[in-house]
Order: sequence, then structure tokens, then C-alpha cells
Amino acid sequence: VTDTARGALDAALIAAHARGDRAGLIALYAEAADTAGDTRARAFYLTHAYVFALEAGDPRAAALKARLVAEGADRAD
Amino acid sequence: MPEDHRPSALADVLAPIDRARGLPNAHYTDPATIAAENRACLETTWAAIGVGADVPGAGDAKPLDFLGQPLLMLRDDAGAVRVFYNICRHRGMILVDAPRKIEGAIRCPYHSWCYAKDGRLVATPHVGGPGQNAHPGIDRKTLGLVEVPSHVWRDVVFVNLSGDAAPFEEVHSDLLTRWAEFEQPLHHGGADSSFTLEVATNWKLAVENYCESYHLPWVHPGLNSYSRLEDHYHIEAPGLYSGQGSYVYRQLRGADGAVFPDFANLSPSGTRARNMSRSIPTCSSACIATTPSPSCWSRSPMTARASTSTSITRSPRPTRPCAPATPRSGKRSSWRISAWSRACSAAASPRGSTAAASARRWTGRRTASTPGWPGGWTPRPRRRGDAGVTRG
Repeated sequence: VTDTARGALDAALIAAHARGDRAGLIALYAEAADTAGDTRARAFYLTHAYVFALEAGDPRAAALKARLVAEGADRAD
Repeated sequence: MPEDHRPSALADVLAPIDRARGLPNAHYTDPATIAAENRACLETTWAAIGVGADVPGAGDAKPLDFLGQPLLMLRDDAGAVRVFYNICRHRGMILVDAPRKIEGAIRCPYHSWCYAKDGRLVATPHVGGPGQNAHPGIDRKTLGLVEVPSHVWRDVVFVNLSGDAAPFEEVHSDLLTRWAEFEQPLHHGGADSSFTLEVATNWKLAVENYCESYHLPWVHPGLNSYSRLEDHYHIEAPGLYSGQGSYVYRQLRGADGAVFPDFANLSPSGTRARNMSRSIPTCSSACIATTPSPSCWSRSPMTARASTSTSITRSPRPTRPCAPATPRSGKRSSWRISAWSRACSAAASPRGSTAAASARRWTGRRTASTPGWPGGWTPRPRRRGDAGVTRG
């Protein structure tokens, strides 16, 4: 991921936060996780995608939680 | 604690009228006295905080403050109304600051701990470090929202803040029996059927007002024109509840003359009870939502206005006029009154039977020993025209 692309993603995330756009936040944080350079960063972004999905009742929450558990970033319920 | 905050103050209030006194000033103005009274009358028993109609749909949440405690009334996905302390188990942050629908989970706005609608703690993001959402010292199973014991009766949501009161059904078994015939589907008209009064007063003043109809001819002449001062009767049991009923039943009519159907299959005594609950719905409901525990010696989820202090020669039972009050001063606490209108619905009887029921209005005659009815009354047929707007 280029610095330009990373910068654009950061800007989009900040804008989505400002709008309170939960659907956008879920998608953008998931994208950030998919393009993260290391495990810890991936877990960080996945966590945010998961929390916003959980809050929204978004069906993606279950899959995001499963990814976090698989990566050792969370416990299974 | 002031000298006049003592048990004998209640004895003075309950004394025969020629010797009775009003409650001492401290009960209205002294914070320590009021706090002790609130604990005894509201916190350690069952107190109403709202109605289920405040949270009509799954996920609807309404924050409220009761006795200084932030509470959250929430309807879960199964349709049950539950009450939680509205604070995050992590840092005590207020979780929900305005009524709204919880779509998935309640996310704390501070560190994003998330709670399911049944109170379970379901996410603790980064609690073990960035990207690490678990920690050996954090057992999510033990850190769910703290639930307040609650009970919904007639759509009124009661809570027991202290958590050690006997079950609602036990404490108020006689009331549940009294109103058993009305355990029928209810319909709430929504926001248009509710109103809120913000009053800067100690709650007892509101209670004392609905405990007497003495003021009706002067303050509510319209109401008094058809539900007269002497049409009201007491429903009270010392230590349990106090309320007031009216012998008069007159349905509210819409612009097109339509009325709600009557409750179905009421016995004559049930019909009498309906008269009370239907004739002055907003006043009676206000009492429900405001003060389930109207006074220190009279704890109640009562559903009606109460008349304890009028001296009417035609009253079927001797009543006590108000004891002289001492002048009151000082800052009063704020008390919120929320009212709702009630109407029967669903199992509604057909229009024809509604009209028939209306023509069979009943009134009551109080007796000192009618079994099964606290306060005691027996139904008797009301003569046509008895309850007209024009007084007979």
C-alpha cells in the first residue's frame, strides 16, 4: 500500500468518524485491516470494524469476531 | 437531622382531625430528611419510573434519572422491558444520553466497551493492548450491566433500587387481585397520548394533591361538573397504597363521536373499577407514573387519585379534612410527572356492546366491610342521568 493510498484511507476514516457513518466505518476499517502491514495493525483495525459492526447490528460482526479470535486478538464467547 | 423528623411526626399527622398536624417543614425542605424519606418510601420498595410505551420497540432505550441514579430502560429483542444502571462497568461513563434505538449493542462512548441488549458485556476493545481485546484479568461474564430489579404491571415499569424488596406480586397482591379483570390487551396511543409536567416541588405535594378531591370545584370546575367532589372515593391501605376513584364513568369521545370499546367481560364490581380508571385517565395515570409510593406510611403503585382529606356530609364514609399545614419555605426538589392515557383495545368488544355497556353504568356504595376490595364498595345501578355534566 502506498503512502498516498494510506493517506487517502486515513482521510476517509476521519471523515466517516466526523459524519458518524457507521456503515462507512465498518467498511473502511475492514479495508484498513486487509491492507495493514503487520498482525498488530491488522488486529487494531479489525477491532474497530468489529465494534462498529456490533454497535450497528451489522451481520458482518460475527465474521469479524471470528477473524479476531483466529488471529489471537480476542476470546471466543 | 431536624428535631421534627421523628416517628411521632407521623403520629401527629394521623391523629384525629382536632389534633392532627401537617407534616413538618423538614419533610419538604430539609435534604437529609427528604433523603431518608426517599430511601424509605421509594428506594426500598417498588417505585414507578415510566411506562413500557416509552420504549415501544425492540432496542428502544430511554435514559432517566431516579433518586439521583442514572437508569436505562431498555426493551430487549425478546420484547421484555429491562432496567439497568446506565453506566459502563469500566469507568462509569453514562452509556446512553438520550432516548434512541439500540440497533446492535450499546457502545460506551469513552473506550467502546459494548453491551448486548440483555446487559451482557460483549466487547472490550484493546483492553489487553492495541489490537488485543481480551485480558486475563477481565472476565466479561462478570462485568455485564448492573440490572435493577423491575416489574411491569399494567405497562407501568416499577423498580426496586435497593434490590431487597419482596417480589412485586407479593407486596401488591391485593392490587393485582383488585385489577385482575383488567388484565386485557392495552393500546397506548403513542406520543400524542402522553404528556410530561416538570414541576419544582417535593414529590409529596403532588401526591397530597391527588389524594384529595377537595380542590376540584375550585381548580377543576370542568371535571367537577360531571365527576363531582362527592363522586370520589378512597382506595387506600395504610402501609401499601393510596388512591382515589370516581363513581362516574363517561367515555372520552373523538371528533367523530367514536369511543374506545369497553373492557370486555367485566363483572359488576369490575365495571365499577373501570369507572375509576377510565373516567379520569390522565389524572390517574399521572399518579401511576409519578409516585408509586405516595407517602412514608402509604407505599403504593396506585392507579388513581386519592381523596383522603375532604369532609363531605354526603360522603359515604367519614373522611378527614386536611390538617393545618405549617408555612413552608426553602428550595424544593424537582420532580417529574409523566402521564399516559390508557385505552382498552384489542380484545375489544363490538361497538354495539360498547353502547350497551355505557347504558349500564354502575356506581358504588361504600361499605366498611365489603370483602375482597380494599376500601370496600359494592356496586349499585346508577340512575340514568346521575352522571351528567349538569348536576342533578
